[in-house]
Amino acid sequence: MALLEVKNLTVEFGSEDKPFRAVDSVSYSVDRGEVLGIVGESGSGKSVSSLAVMGLIDFPGRVTADALTFDGQDLLRMPSKRRRQITGKDIAMIFQDPMSALNPCFTVEAQIMEALKVHEGGNKKQRRERTLDLLDQVGIPDPKSRMTAYPHQLSGGMSQRIVIAMAIACNPRLLIADEPTTALDVTIQAQIIDLLLKLQEDSDMGLLLITHDLALVSEAANRIQVMYAGQLFESGPADSIFAAPRHPYTQALLEALPERSEGHDRLRTIPGVVPGQYDRPAGCLLAPRCRYANESCVNARPEVSDFNGRDVRCFYPLNDQGQPTGLPTGETV
Amino acid sequence: MLSFLLRRLGDVIPTFFGVTILVFLMVHLIPSDPIEMLAGERSVEPERYAELQKQYGFDKPLVVQYLNYLGGVLQGDLGKSYVTKRPVIEEFAVLFPATVELSLMGILFAISIGLPLGVIAAMKRGKWLDHLTMSLSLTGYSMPIFWWALLLIMFFSTTLGWTPVSGRLSVMYFFEPVTGFMLIDSLLSGQEGAFSSALSHLILPTIVLGTIPMAVIARMTRSSMLEVLGEEYIRVARAKGLAPMRVIMVHALRNALIPVITVIGLQVGVLFAGAILTETIFAWPGIGKWIVEALNRRDYPTIQGGILMIAFVVMAVNLFVDLMYGVINPRIRHKR
Repeated sequence: MALLEVKNLTVEFGSEDKPFRAVDSVSYSVDRGEVLGIVGESGSGKSVSSLAVMGLIDFPGRVTADALTFDGQDLLRMPSKRRRQITGKDIAMIFQDPMSALNPCFTVEAQIMEALKVHEGGNKKQRRERTLDLLDQVGIPDPKSRMTAYPHQLSGGMSQRIVIAMAIACNPRLLIADEPTTALDVTIQAQIIDLLLKLQEDSDMGLLLITHDLALVSEAANRIQVMYAGQLFESGPADSIFAAPRHPYTQALLEALPERSEGHDRLRTIPGVVPGQYDRPAGCLLAPRCRYANESCVNARPEVSDFNGRDVRCFYPLNDQGQPTGLPTGETV
Repeated sequence: MLSFLLRRLGDVIPTFFGVTILVFLMVHLIPSDPIEMLAGERSVEPERYAELQKQYGFDKPLVVQYLNYLGGVLQGDLGKSYVTKRPVIEEFAVLFPATVELSLMGILFAISIGLPLGVIAAMKRGKWLDHLTMSLSLTGYSMPIFWWALLLIMFFSTTLGWTPVSGRLSVMYFFEPVTGFMLIDSLLSGQEGAFSSALSHLILPTIVLGTIPMAVIARMTRSSMLEVLGEEYIRVARAKGLAPMRVIMVHALRNALIPVITVIGLQVGVLFAGAILTETIFAWPGIGKWIVEALNRRDYPTIQGGILMIAFVVMAVNLFVDLMYGVINPRIRHKR
C-alpha cells in the first residue's frame, strides 16, 4: 500500500454553480522511500494540490476526492482534530519563501520546539536537546548560538534550513517540499536539495518535490508528474519521461531547457500563458499553445489514458521519435 | 535596549520644550488682558495696573518672561492660580488621581472590549458577526461624547436607577484620601459598601470615555489581524498541526498587536480630551473639569499648568508605548 494515495483530487474556488477548478481530478501516489516530482508552470495547481493534502485549503475552497488516504487512513473524512495529529507529524511541508515562513516575533528555538511540544510532548529540556540536534542535522553552523536568534537575523539559506528542521522535527513519513529552492541563490539551491535528499534517504521518507525546475527534478525524482492548469498531463518514471516525453507539453518543456537548445540562436519557449479562471478553453486546456492541436483538440477535452505504460492526457500522444500518433489519416504536422 | 531608550528620550525632549513655548505663548495670543480679568468688573487705576504688571512680570520682554516661566516649570513651579491663589501644581496633584483612575478604567474598558471584538471580526470576516461588530464600532466612534453620556444617564441612572448620576462616591461615605484613587481608598477605609459605591460611580463615565478608543482599537485590531492572517508564517503554523485557537491567539495576535499598541498609545491623548467632557458631565472632580472651570475664569496659570501637565503625561505614555513596542517586536529591539 502506498504511503499517500490521491485519487481524483479536485479543488474548487468560487461559487457553487460556476466554480473555478484550481486542481482537476488529479491522482497520484507516493511510496515510502520514494521521491515524486511534480512539475509545471506557475498556476498549474502544484501548490494547491499539496495544500489540499495538508488540509490547509480554507473556506471558500472546496476539496473533493475519490480517495485521499495516508497510510490507509482517510484524511478527508476524519475529524479535524485527528487530522491535525497527522499534519505536522506524519506529513510535513516546506514552503517556498523561507523569509516569510518564519514568524518574526519568535525565536528559532521557540518555533521548532512548538512543533515538538504539540506532537511529541516530553519536557522542555528534551525538546531543547532535540532542537539542537535538528539544527545540527540541517547543517547550521554553531547551532547553539542560532537557537535564540530571531528570523530577521538569518539569511535566506539559513532560514530555509530552519524551516526544514521545523518540518522534520517529528520524523515525518512524508515530506512535501513546495519549490523549496525558488527563493534562494543558485549556490544555496544545490545545498538545500542535497540536504533534502540526504534526509529523505536516511529516514526512508516519501518526498513530494514540487518545482518548476526540470533539471532539478530529473536528478532528484524517481517518478514525475507533469501538471498543467490544474490537470495531470503526464506521469511516469523520471528517466523514461526525459528520454521520450509522450505529451506535447512535456516535450515543449524539455525543449525549453537551455542544454537542449544547442544549435539554436534563442532558447525555445512555449508561446502564451497558462489559462486562468476566465479564459479556459472549451477543449484541451493546452490547445491554444500546442503545436499539434487540431479541430478535435479545440472542441473536446481528452481524458487520461494509458499509452505505452505511461499516463497521458492527450488525443495524439507522441511516439519515441517525438511525433504525434493516431492523427486522422492524411493529416500531418 | 538602553540605547533604544536613550534614542526615544532624545525624541521626547525637544517636544517638551515645544509644548512649553506653545503653552507660554497662549496667554499672549488670547485677545484679553489677564490683569483686567484679574480685576474683574471693576476698572483698574493706571498706577495699580502698572504695579500688577510688574508683580506678574508682564512688563519684561517676552523672551525673559518665557525663560522665567521655563525656569519655574523645570523646578516644578507652574505658578499660582489667579482665583484660589494656591500653587497650580498642588491643585493638579490633588485632582490628577481622579482623572488617572477614570482614564485607566476607560482604556482598560476599551482594550478588553475592543481587542476581542477586532479578533472576532477578523476571524468571521464577511459574515454577519463581522458586520455587526464593525457597525457597532463605527457607531461608537461617531457618537458625540456628551450625547452618548446623556443617553446612558437617562437610561441607566434615571429610568433603571442602576447607577448614580454623577460624582465619585455616595455622600453616605467619607474618608480622607490616601492614594487619591477612590477604588483603593474606599477599600482602605474599611467602610462597608464604600467600594461598591465607588465602583458604581465609575461605570458610566468609564463606558463613555472608553467608547471611542474601543471603536478605534476594534477596527485597528481587525485590519491588522486580517493582514497577518494572510501571511505565510500563519500557514506554516497551521502546517505544524497547531490548533486553530493557538494559531490565532499566539502566532497571529502577537504580530497583529504591533500596530494596535501604537494606536492605544495615541488614544491616550484622545482619552484626556474626552476626559474634559466626561468629567464635566459626570461632575467628576478631575483635571478635565478643573481645566474647564479655569477656562471659564480665564485663570491662565491653571490653564497653562493643566495643559502642560497633560501634554507631559501624553508624552510619557507614548514613550512607554514605544518601549513596549520594542519588547513585543524583536525587529525594533535589535535595530542599530
